[in-house]
Amino acid sequence: MSPLSSSLLNPRLSFSLKPLFLFSQSSFAPRKFQIPRQFVSAKRKTFSALASEQSSATDNGGRSGGGGRSGALSPSPVVEEVQRIDVNPPKGTRDFPPEDMRLRTWLFNHFREVSRLFGFEEVDYPVLESEVLFIRKAGEEIRDQLYCFEDRGNRRVALRPELTPSLARLVIQKGKSLSLPLKWFAIGQCWRYERMTRGRRREHYQWNMDILGLPEVTAEAELISSIVAFFKRIGITESDVGFKVSSRKVLQEVLRCYSVPENLFGKVCIIIDKIEKIPIDEIKRELNATGLSEEAIEELLQVLSIKSLTKLEEILGGAGEAVAELKELFSLAEKFGYSEWIQFDASVVRGLAYYTGF
Amino acid sequence: MSPLSSSLLNPRLSFSLKPLFLFSQSSFAPRKFQIPRQFVSAKRKTFSALASEQSSATDNGGRSGGGGRSGALSPSPVVEEVQRIDVNPPKGTRDFPPEDMRLRTWLFNHFREVSRLFGFEEVDYPVLESEVLFIRKAGEEIRDQLYCFEDRGNRRVALRPELTPSLARLVIQKGKSLSLPLKWFAIGQCWRYERMTRGRRREHYQWNMDILGLPEVTAEAELISSIVAFFKRIGITESDVGFKVSSRKVLQEVLRCYSVPENLFGKVCIIIDKIEKIPIDEIKRELNATGLSEEAIEELLQVLSIKSLTKLEEILGGAGEAVAELKELFSLAEKFGYSEWIQFDASVVRGLAYYTGIVFEGFDRQGKLRAICGGGRYDRLLSTFGGDDVPACGFGFGDAVIVEVCEASIEGHQ
Repeated sequence: MSPLSSSLLNPRLSFSLKPLFLFSQSSFAPRKFQIPRQFVSAKRKTFSALASEQSSATDNGGRSGGGGRSGALSPSPVVEEVQRIDVNPPKGTRDFPPEDMRLRTWLFNHFREVSRLFGFEEVDYPVLESEVLFIRKAGEEIRDQLYCFEDRGNRRVALRPELTPSLARLVIQKGKSLSLPLKWFAIGQCWRYERMTRGRRREHYQWNMDILGLPEVTAEAELISSIVAFFKRIGITESDVGFKVSSRKVLQEVLRCYSVPENLFGKVCIIIDKIEKIPIDEIKRELNATGLSEEAIEELLQVLSIKSLTKLEEILGGAGEAVAELKELFSLAEKFGYSEWIQFDASVVRGLAYYTGF
Repeated sequence: MSPLSSSLLNPRLSFSLKPLFLFSQSSFAPRKFQIPRQFVSAKRKTFSALASEQSSATDNGGRSGGGGRSGALSPSPVVEEVQRIDVNPPKGTRDFPPEDMRLRTWLFNHFREVSRLFGFEEVDYPVLESEVLFIRKAGEEIRDQLYCFEDRGNRRVALRPELTPSLARLVIQKGKSLSLPLKWFAIGQCWRYERMTRGRRREHYQWNMDILGLPEVTAEAELISSIVAFFKRIGITESDVGFKVSSRKVLQEVLRCYSVPENLFGKVCIIIDKIEKIPIDEIKRELNATGLSEEAIEELLQVLSIKSLTKLEEILGGAGEAVAELKELFSLAEKFGYSEWIQFDASVVRGLAYYTGIVFEGFDRQGKLRAICGGGRYDRLLSTFGGDDVPACGFGFGDAVIVEVCEASIEGHQ
């Protein structure tokens, strides 16, 4: 195997890199051929002449059998304008040469195997969707960074930032033909448009598993169990990673005490989600801007700092759904055998507007 | 398992679908809590009240143990504007629900297995590339239908119509670190923007296999061999499909006799590729417009009608590269054992400007379908991107026509 470098140093190769002189149309001198027989003999001479021209330009004399050319190429028959291209993939995207592809394939294989073991079926959707699917007015980061544009037909479309709305669309489309519960998984590329000053990626692949048609907490418990199984498969243990668990209903119950209208709920969650990322005063300011009183805000922030389910029950009481569901989850985790992997943490709200429970 | 329909008909569900009345900010009446203890007891009452509100709204009374709710949902705590969305995927694109995904996975597994058996390594590139990568001025259909747009930073980008330019870009990028020959394969989604009046798709997946660094015809022979292996794996035989093979050098040699400048070569090939698709007079007109004399055109069209390598050798003579390479390919096919699968056909040029040597396409023998796959040698592509040329050949194989071939084959056997 000759490395690319020795080919690059070959002097003959430089011949093919010179832009060939462009002939204008007027320098044509088409040969005239009157009858086939004459044409054939004239051609044969012409083709032989061409052939010997070709031979002298290449490394070896003949072409019989397996020898072939060593590395030099005959003069270019196609002249394209040379346009120096950027050899890098577009900003924020990745190439997958063989070594990187091997890692990705290894990872995706584990995603797939775990999904199959838990009885999930694979699905896929277009990476391009109507922009409308992602326009939620809750102020989510996912919306600010939507990779949207107008297609050639002036339609507003977007490279999907997540897979869940596509799942929802397909489920609605299928309607009665679907039997529930439904357990689907997908591995798909998702996109965002972020300013590249921060050197972050604009695309990534995301493994999704979804259970539709089960209102019970057993669904959440199974999802977490499958992720635990994935971690174990690749040698990650509970001393390396864990899950922080809470419920949107915790926030709901606090806000309802203050008669905060439910249409603000999603917005409040998005603000709360930024707790570790922006200063607490900014958080308070944004919550105030949505209409929450200072008392409501204080109460909210206090509740969010709770790290024990028992403490939460003291504050909220045992009758609400939030505490009941969380207790059920922890009980199931015990039975599944992954109690060591999960912990309650009221500050976890996640950054998507549509979560209603966990 | 309760089907989705009974959930939809559940009266309680309709409650959560009604847009809830929006409160204005002034209707707030925040409760005051002075000290924690008071707060806790006041809360407990409040939370219990809330809890019993919730219970009465759901199907069952309690929540202990495993029963849970049957199918009704408690009133929506999140009020979003309801926006009816189009449940169909964007025009020209496909969803893959489980049944369709199973078929796709089956197909892609065969693509991968054959690639591996032949010693190819898998790679992948971004589906989005700079538009520049696909702008070739030869008038190719692929360029007219480029799915390009301006991103949010006003850069001209495109959803790739093919994988080969990305391969070329990555090979130039890797430069000296690559050892040749290089055998890479990829399965990636490709896009085009076509007017939907024809009901055609805007995306498809394409299996590509490429060999770089081998100038010999053995490379093309191996590529065709791998496609034959793929067909056999899925039960398609030489009576179902075949390959038409030719070489761009045939046209080159004819055009050179007429001193047609080489910069027109790509354009001429693109026009010729439309032979089965537009009237012959239109073909002649377009060829004339590029500057070819009527004699050159007549000669060209005659040569293109040749279906026998022997006849071609009579016309072109035995000394040129076109005939020599084609004879070598057919000889190798004999040794590989797939002579029954290939045939010479001078009219095959393929629709990409960058082919420089042997070209081939897979076709169904019933003649009802479009090309199953296509490929050829493209020794000159890397220099057009500012890199150093490396001999290269490869093919693309779409995910749509092959399914039709399989369906036709199943029908034929019934």
